[in-house]
Amino acid sequence: MSDNNVMKGGLGTGLLILSAAVMVATFGYVIFQLNTVGHAAFNVSSKLPWGQPISTYLYFALASSGLGLIASLPLVFGFKQYYGIAKRAIFLAFIILISGMAVLALELGHTFRMLWAIPFNMQIQSAMFWMGVFYAADLLFLLWKFQKMEAGDWDSKNTKIIGIASFLGVLLASGNLALIFGMMSMRPFWFDGSLPIYFYLTAVTSGMAALVFFSYLAYGFDRSKMPQKLQNALNNGLPKLFAAVLGLTILFVAVRAITGLYTNNPEVYHVWADYLFASPVYILSLLLGLLVPFALMMSRNLRVNPQVQVLVSVLTFGGLFAERYFFVVGGQVIPLFQGTWAWNMIQYTPSATEWALTIMGSAMIFTLYVLGEKFFNLSAVPEQLEEAAEAEAKATA
Amino acid sequence: MAKWGMVIDLDKCTGCQACTTACAMENNTLPGESWQDVLYYNEGEYPSAQMKWLPRPCMQCEDPSCVHVCPTRATYKDPDAGGIVFVDWNKCIGCKYCMIACPYGVRFYADEQPLIEPDMRDVYPGENGQMWSPPYQNPEQDWRRGIGIQPKGVVSKCTFCYHKVSKAPEGVPDLDEDDPELVEYVPACVRTCPPKARYFGDLDNPESNVNRIIGDKHGVRLLDHTGNRPQVYYLGAGAGVPAFSPRNS
Ligand code: SF4
Ligand code: SF4
Repeated sequence: MSDNNVMKGGLGTGLLILSAAVMVATFGYVIFQLNTVGHAAFNVSSKLPWGQPISTYLYFALASSGLGLIASLPLVFGFKQYYGIAKRAIFLAFIILISGMAVLALELGHTFRMLWAIPFNMQIQSAMFWMGVFYAADLLFLLWKFQKMEAGDWDSKNTKIIGIASFLGVLLASGNLALIFGMMSMRPFWFDGSLPIYFYLTAVTSGMAALVFFSYLAYGFDRSKMPQKLQNALNNGLPKLFAAVLGLTILFVAVRAITGLYTNNPEVYHVWADYLFASPVYILSLLLGLLVPFALMMSRNLRVNPQVQVLVSVLTFGGLFAERYFFVVGGQVIPLFQGTWAWNMIQYTPSATEWALTIMGSAMIFTLYVLGEKFFNLSAVPEQLEEAAEAEAKATA
Repeated sequence: MAKWGMVIDLDKCTGCQACTTACAMENNTLPGESWQDVLYYNEGEYPSAQMKWLPRPCMQCEDPSCVHVCPTRATYKDPDAGGIVFVDWNKCIGCKYCMIACPYGVRFYADEQPLIEPDMRDVYPGENGQMWSPPYQNPEQDWRRGIGIQPKGVVSKCTFCYHKVSKAPEGVPDLDEDDPELVEYVPACVRTCPPKARYFGDLDNPESNVNRIIGDKHGVRLLDHTGNRPQVYYLGAGAGVPAFSPRNS
């Protein structure tokens, strides 16, 4: 088996040291701020209680769910052409979720209290209770599935069952996460029964971006160095799927925007007209983060080009991060009561501490990712498939 | 057990903020942490613009969305305490989901940027786990009900002055500040209100004055479409929440 994985060598070690240093530094800064200033180091307020740390968590949690859904294509639905990406997708899903949870933990007023207060009180009415249950289950299944793959067991009956359970877990977790927002009738910008569908779509889109980017990173952005199965996936199935989910994401944003701009409910209309579309960053994130990637991926020639794929995944990353941020903040910018303390839309820009949390989460992903590439073979496929792929490559050579 | 309710007559309310001040004194809240506040706003445009105001405590909803969403049951409605909604500061994890879910914006996460400088939390640093310790403090404390000065990382809100109300004799239909026997048990905002725009009594008692005036004067509840069904009723013209409109200046 060829192994050109650059993460196993010095380059990986360099990246590992760099990202670990960033992670430790930002974590230290956040902890220092929390111990000295407290949560006042965040720019959120009682009027706008959920800011960038929540949107970062949401972004990571959904990217993880997206990766889980992508991995289920080969593992649950038997699409053989995607086998080459399955193991890396599962691994990424696991570490991205862990990183998201780390960010969330530091956002809470009482991180450790949560560990007993949620399970012991069994508040099954709360969507947030179920978020805990489903994401914990998700994490467990991801780990279990990865361990099975690591042991070379891809197809046994048990593995299949774990795969299906994991797929359901991902659907429940991300769908329920959508309902945390979607069920809030008092926050009309979010109040939307179709939100789970929107979350599934954008989850797969951001998961896809992560998968493509990190797969290239492992092989020094050189596709010819990749194992055959991975090359096949990046040449064929994945780009088409990427184009499709980008298109559907755009469609969904457009539908929400059109209804939002058409309605005369001020709590929805003004969010779109005077907050989202008034923000150059939001418009830029739509153009560069979704439309340009979609246009590039629609071209038959461009979408298989490695440089284009990397570029698209980076752009989509940024675009969807902004999308999550504007979604979370947008639901809160209209004050519940206009008047004293809130004459206009509520202003919010993330503080240095909140940015540090986002950077910490991202650095954590990179750190864990390099460790994963170093210690596991994330491009592994079931043995019989590997032999077949190699034979095929020889025959065509 | 009673079901405590409050009635606020907007035709009598002068917007003097005595209730706000009394609440802040009684409960030692921080600047910006207004469990009871009077919100000023204007409606309409010149030449028919009107200046309006709305006193706003926690509505102690009958079907409170803050309780439904709380993942730890830190926020709970206590039927044995007259249906008051409490925050258990020993259980709250500070996820702030209740603040997202409350339609009335009456919950506070005091561990946030100070509204005024100097920051009172620096001027009177907290002792005994409290977020701050002012020179005078109400001796009543019950963290399981969110009474007292809150610790860090939790959410606070109006308790209908449960530390007073709970000591009232069993079965009284109304807590009226004009009754010398009952005056000590009346919530601070109700007791202080100079034009007597506030009434406090048992919504489950057909004999109570609050029930009578809600019926006679067509008491309304705010934002009833959210289904929260407040235990606070408003009387008089203009009892409603105006639609949001952005300001261009
Ligand atoms: S007004 Fe808000 S905080 Fe008070 S009970 Fe109702 S939902 Fe809960
Ligand atoms: S902030 Fe506290 S009271 Fe509010 S929902 Fe979370 S745990 Fe419950």
